[in-house]
Formats: sequence, C-alpha cells, structure tokens
Amino acid sequence: MTQRVRMFGAALLVALCGSTLAAHHSAVQFDFSTSVQVTGVVKKFRAINPHMQLVLHVKDAKGERDIVYEGHSTNNMYRAGYRDAMIKVGDTITVSIAPLKTGADGGYVTAAVTASGERFGQQSRAEQARERERAEGR
Amino acid sequence: MQQRSRTAVRLLAVAGACACLGTVGMAQSGDPHPDFTGVWTSYSDPGAPGGRGGGPALSLNEAARQKVAAYQALVAPTGDTPGGYCLGTGMPGSMLGSGGYPMEIHQRPEQLIIVYEAHNETRRVYLGDRIVPMADRLPGRNGHSSGRWDGDTLVVETTHLVEQVDQRYAHSNQARIVERYRLEKGAAGQTVLAAEMTMTDPGFLTAPFTTTKKWARVPNGHLLPYECAEEEWVKHLERLEERASAASPSRP
Repeated sequence: MTQRVRMFGAALLVALCGSTLAAHHSAVQFDFSTSVQVTGVVKKFRAINPHMQLVLHVKDAKGERDIVYEGHSTNNMYRAGYRDAMIKVGDTITVSIAPLKTGADGGYVTAAVTASGERFGQQSRAEQARERERAEGR
Repeated sequence: MQQRSRTAVRLLAVAGACACLGTVGMAQSGDPHPDFTGVWTSYSDPGAPGGRGGGPALSLNEAARQKVAAYQALVAPTGDTPGGYCLGTGMPGSMLGSGGYPMEIHQRPEQLIIVYEAHNETRRVYLGDRIVPMADRLPGRNGHSSGRWDGDTLVVETTHLVEQVDQRYAHSNQARIVERYRLEKGAAGQTVLAAEMTMTDPGFLTAPFTTTKKWARVPNGHLLPYECAEEEWVKHLERLEERASAASPSRP
C-alpha cells in the first residue's frame, strides 16, 4: 500500500505541475490547495484514463442538482486503492475534490469513500491535518 | 542405461524450460550482463533532489529560446499540451518524467523494450546485429536508440529525434542523447536503476544537458492499460446521442 501511495503521490505531483497527467486540458482551473467533501448519489461513473468521470446527484444549500466531476486517472486511483466495481450507479458516496477556482459546481476528485466505507485516493494536507486533530481528540 | 536416459530427458526438459523462461523472465541464460527486466517507479534517495529527473535549466541558444517562447505563447491561453491530445512526451521527457507513471523493461540480449505506462509510450533499444543502420532510421519523438554494454553499464544512444519545443526538454532534430543505465542499491537496500543522461544538441543547446534519473524496482509490479483516447471517444458518443435525441425526440 505504501508503494501505491508513493507512486500515486509522484503522479499527483506531476498533475499539479501540468504534465501529461493533465491530458485533455490544463488543471489550472482547479484549486488544489483546498479540499472539499461532497456527498451525493452516483448517476454516472466511468473508470477511464486520463480522468475518471463522475456525475453526482447532490442536495445542499444551493438546492438539488447533478454535478459533473472528473478525477485522477484510473491508473493512479488504482494505485491509491481503487478496484473494479467499487462505485456503482445509485451508490451514495463522498468524494474529496479540488474545487473550481471560479466557485462554480464541479471539481477534480482526488479521493473517495464508497458506499461500503472503502476509501481510495490521496488525502490532501488539509485532510491529513483534520484527521490528526480528530485522532488527538482536538 | 534406462536411468541415464531418464536423467538426460529431465536435463533436456529443464534446459528447455530455462530457455523459455529466458525470453520473458528475470534471467537470460548465458547473458553475463545485469538484467533490468521488470516494472520500475520513480525513486529519489532521501533528501536528494533529482530522482524524478529534472536537472538544470537547458542552455538554449537564442533561436531556440525564440521558438520555445513562441510555442509557449501559442498554448498559454488554453493550457494545451501534447498529452492533452494523447500524444506521448518524446525523449528525453518520456524517460525523465513519463507523467510519474511506472515503466516496464523487457530485456533480451539483442533488444530491450521500454514501455512507459503513460500513453503506452514505447522505446526499443537495439544491440549488436539488431542495430538499424543510420540510413534506414526514421525520425520520431522518441528517436531511434541503440545500445552497448560497458561492463555492467548499458549505454544507450538515441538519435533521429524530431524537433520538439512542446516538452520541458526542448531540442532540435540534431539532438543526441546518451543514457548510462546501471543497477545500484537504494537507501533501504532496494534495487534501484540509475540512468545518467546527457543530451547534446548543436541546433538548440550551447552546452550539454546532463541529469540523473532513478527508479526503484516494483516487486511483481504490473503496468496498467492506458487508453488515453477513451475519454474523448466516450464524450464524443455522448454528443452524438444528444444530437440524435434532439433530432428525433421519440428516440429512447
């Protein structure tokens, strides 16, 4: 698992530097310094390269709507714990996203917690800090 | 006599099995050189920069600087990259970066095949009689590579590159890249593949560009498929379906 995380971390670094991982577009529209958790019902999910594709049905203060997300490549997610059929249409999942800098709906999925509670992806520094605080009872 | 025959048959079977394994396995029968076969991922020694490649800035001449600047100005508004069009990085970017994805090496005495997972970029390094004569080589983004052994070091020379301003390591079609691969031990005792790389280029560079890249072996590692065009193809089908639905609203 450590190996997976290390390889994923290297790929993430490259993604942030806008190299080949940013295939089909630059990743500059996403704010990778922030991590936001979004929970919703999966309407569409495709584990493909270079970006996973996800449509979540979300209910929040802004109302009820479908939001389109993309994420790291399936290969990078695989090395960070993703396995086939972990996410299915109709599942309620929580994703960690780097939001769009514009503040509009959407974002770049960096990690997810599946309907069965399995987790895959890369924790952001903010998430790691929050987890440390929870573990330390702060 | 019967016992001798049985023993001979067993020996032949073992030899046959070894020969078969030799084409895909970790050891090449009779090849005294180190075996780089396997899956490798970027590695850097603790506290040491440069494990993922990088290196100093290129010493570009003025004409090259202008070409690179023109390219960067062209793509700046959209952030377009070759990878964005499912095009591999090309040498030396493929070897130094490869998007942070792992690579796989298959080694035979006369040829190595290097596959970088990102975009399935593939390099073939020919040795000995397999080396293609200069006049028969076609230029490409990864050029044409030939190899020779210098003791336990594999020396790979790459020529016939096309001019590329669309990668971090811009170069002209006159570029020549020499990589020196050897095995060493990492900080935790793991097997590490190290490559010293030097690019000379009278067309673009005023001084050679030299850097070192290292990879750690991934025990029993596997490369994954990388069909970069799938995302665009799927989206294209969705657009076609939307158009078809709009044209014929009764369509399910």
